[in-house]
Amino acid sequence: MVKKKKQGSIRGKVLLSIVPVVVVLVLVLVAISTIISRRRLGDMAKDQLNSSITNQTDNIEAWMDENLTFFSTAKSTIEQLKPDAAGLQVLLDTYYDSNTAAPEGLYVATSTGGFYTATGSTHTESNPTDTQWYKQGLTRVNMDYGTAYQDADGRYVISASGILNDASGEIKVISADVSLDQISIIVNSGVKMDEASSFLVDTADNTILAHRDASKVGTDLSADSSAFMAGVAQKVAERDYNQTTIAENLVSFSEISGTEWLLISYVPTAVVYKSVTQLTTILVVAGLAAILLLVIIIMVMTNRLFKPLTAITQNITDMSAGDFTIDITADSNDEIGLMGSKVREFVESMRGMLASINSESEKLMEQSENSDEVSKTMFDASSSQAQAMEGLNNTVNQLSVAVTEIAENATTLAMVVSDTRDNSDKASESMRETVEISKKGREDMEQLGIAMEGIQNANQILAESIDKVGAASEEITSIVGMISEISSQTNLLSLNASIEAARAGEAGRGFAVVASEIGNLANNSSQSAQDIANLIQQIRNLIEDVVQQANASAKSIEENSDLIHQAIATFDQIYQNIELSNERLAAVVDNISTVSDVATSVAAISEEQAASADEILETSRNMVEHANNITQSSQDVADNSHELADTSQTLADHVSQFKI
Amino acid sequence: MKLDRLFKCRVLACMMICIMAIGLMSGCGKSSGGNGASGNGKILFVITDVDDSFRSSLAEAIKTSAQEQGLEIDYQESGDSVDVQKEIIEQAAQNGYSGCICRLADASTALQMEVAAGDMPIVFVNNDPTSELLKDSKYVYIGSPEQDAGKYEAEYVWNKLGNPTSINLVIMKGEKGHSATEGRSKAAIKYFRDNGVDVNLVFSDYANWTDENAYKYMGILSSVGGKYDAVICNNDTMALGVVKYMQDNGISTKDIPVCGVDATADGCASVAAGGMQFTVLQSAEGQGAKAVEAIAAMVKGNSISDIAGATEDGKYIWVDFEKVDASNVANYQ
Repeated sequence: MVKKKKQGSIRGKVLLSIVPVVVVLVLVLVAISTIISRRRLGDMAKDQLNSSITNQTDNIEAWMDENLTFFSTAKSTIEQLKPDAAGLQVLLDTYYDSNTAAPEGLYVATSTGGFYTATGSTHTESNPTDTQWYKQGLTRVNMDYGTAYQDADGRYVISASGILNDASGEIKVISADVSLDQISIIVNSGVKMDEASSFLVDTADNTILAHRDASKVGTDLSADSSAFMAGVAQKVAERDYNQTTIAENLVSFSEISGTEWLLISYVPTAVVYKSVTQLTTILVVAGLAAILLLVIIIMVMTNRLFKPLTAITQNITDMSAGDFTIDITADSNDEIGLMGSKVREFVESMRGMLASINSESEKLMEQSENSDEVSKTMFDASSSQAQAMEGLNNTVNQLSVAVTEIAENATTLAMVVSDTRDNSDKASESMRETVEISKKGREDMEQLGIAMEGIQNANQILAESIDKVGAASEEITSIVGMISEISSQTNLLSLNASIEAARAGEAGRGFAVVASEIGNLANNSSQSAQDIANLIQQIRNLIEDVVQQANASAKSIEENSDLIHQAIATFDQIYQNIELSNERLAAVVDNISTVSDVATSVAAISEEQAASADEILETSRNMVEHANNITQSSQDVADNSHELADTSQTLADHVSQFKI
Repeated sequence: MKLDRLFKCRVLACMMICIMAIGLMSGCGKSSGGNGASGNGKILFVITDVDDSFRSSLAEAIKTSAQEQGLEIDYQESGDSVDVQKEIIEQAAQNGYSGCICRLADASTALQMEVAAGDMPIVFVNNDPTSELLKDSKYVYIGSPEQDAGKYEAEYVWNKLGNPTSINLVIMKGEKGHSATEGRSKAAIKYFRDNGVDVNLVFSDYANWTDENAYKYMGILSSVGGKYDAVICNNDTMALGVVKYMQDNGISTKDIPVCGVDATADGCASVAAGGMQFTVLQSAEGQGAKAVEAIAAMVKGNSISDIAGATEDGKYIWVDFEKVDASNVANYQ
């Protein structure tokens, strides 16, 4: 859920942002002005009060000095003239009325109770030496003011008195009274500041000497319990005469020189800061007016400035709703005008862009459909390829099994040939023994020949027997021919065997038969040799007959000796023939050996073939796997092209939302 | 977001304006302050005369201190003429002196001298102008608080007499209207009042600093039959007059203490001889040293507030009086 934002106007925001700042600024300025003017006015007021009190002090001092000078002059004159009682009276009368401050004029008292006063004066003293002025006058030669007191008429006065040193030997005190009313007039009228007041206090006894309120004159300072007067009394008691503020009054103190009097001047702080309050009020009003004016100006200005913005805002709102059919007018030459024209440019370019996106998305959709079909075709093709590969795989598998079988067969053949060769070797051995025996027979024959030579001369009758021997020899010859034939047959068999081996197939088994035939032939050869031995036995029997006949006809044997020699030669011939047979048999064995080698090679080749067939099988398995992968991939491609088709559809849908 | 930033910018701008406005205002409020180090470093020391023993000692003390602190001092005497004094100071200001130590010919002409001095700071000595004419670390007065002198006299008397509750007192005052006269006299009376002593002023008059007047007044006092317990004088000279009268008339100066101020040579001799009992000394050395210390600080544009004895308002440096009686008078002779 999107939180609906509160819609505000720029004008409101501008007002919201500027007005508080301006208000703060105005407040700050008002505060600063107030503080500064308050301080300045405060300082000014302090200065003014100081100046006022100084002025008053000067006035009071001047007034008092003036009178004191007058009295002192009169006193000096009297002292110089040294008058008698009558003369003194004249002098007092002379000075009477010449000083308005002392309307009663000067008067003199003596220690003996004498009292002289001007004739016109109403001043009387019943007991002058008991008076305050007399006692105080006795403490100084130069006339000076004493403390305030009430005279006989009840007026507050102060007397200026001193010892009249007229060298008469009599102690005299001269004095003159000044009314506190007069000092009060100076105090009250001498204030040089609006609404400020002053009063005079004698710090010797805390008596108020002058005050705007006449009833307070002559009273004790501490008698007034108001916060202000109490505060003043405290300051006086502390002798802290620095300017201060007491009970919302700015107060200044000033000591009157030559006396113990203290002039106190004060002004209410409200008066001091009245103008500050006025100024603050004016500033606040002016500030408020300025703020109001500013608000109005801002409202008017923002109205004027942001009017074109309203139209543009409407246009942008339409745009955000997807409507680009809007028309934007931008006729002002400021930033907002520029904004309008830029928005117009934007709308135009958006329109163009949306149109091209639309067409592009359609194209894309077509292309994605095409791509989908292509991928389907590809999927089918790859599926069939995978199947084909599977078949190929099976075939190769079978091939592999067959080759393995061939290899096994070839191995068996090699073993058989090996056995055959062993048998041939044995035959060859037998043949050699035969040769050995025939060699021995020839030697025997040679010994017979020697014997025959002894009897050849006398053995004529043996001629017949010798003929018979000749017949037996012929038979041996035929046996030998037979042996020769056997060997030729063996030769033939071995030929057959080699042919079979060359064929190397199932004929391998037939070769076993050939081998057994060869065994039989060997047996036959052995049999023939036996026959030969038998024949030779018969020959020996015949020879025994010949010997018997030789015994009878020793002389005739000698005659047969040549024949015996011939027999020996024949034996040699036989021997040579057997030797030849032996050699041929060896050749047969050699040939068999060759067959064995060939069979072994065949077996090795067959094994290699089997290994190759395995490799082919592995390769075809991989190919099957690849084919399967291709199938999967083409499936993915098909999926993707589906997705692409969907996306382009979505795009087309989105774009169709814009109105252009 | 953008509006937010804009708002922040505006607030910042407004704050800057405020600060500038405040700066302007406070800038306007400030005068061309700061009397920084200027001039050629020379100090003018102008004094009326050195006829008085105190002024003589003071002048010597200032010269010695300046030498010790490596300050170049130009010493001039103006006599009692305000015109001559003003001219000397004006000349010094034109010649680029850095500061001035001045014993005013007339205390009321301080403002005239300040105008003449231009930018130079001034240390006033021996003659006290009113507080209004002084300015923090610019125009300052170095002296001893007059009221202390009166207070010390009253204190001595009261203690000497065994702290009585009432006292018959004679006060011999100096010139009427003189700051020392007022300050010393009032302070003495105040001391007694503050201690609850009932003061009976048997005699109190202006003897104008002279022994003759004091002697004469003592005669008059005697003629009117005044009985007194102690005599407090605003200076030693008057005290010596009082002592002379008492001795001439066979009055014991042992039982009735006579006190003076200044510890002059004659005063000290009298104290030693058992005439006067007490006097106070304005330390010429102390004041001279402080005067040099203050002017050295001020020509550098520094405040005098760090100097011992300076008042909070920076207008005064007070050098305490020293009490002199029979016990320590030998140190001052």
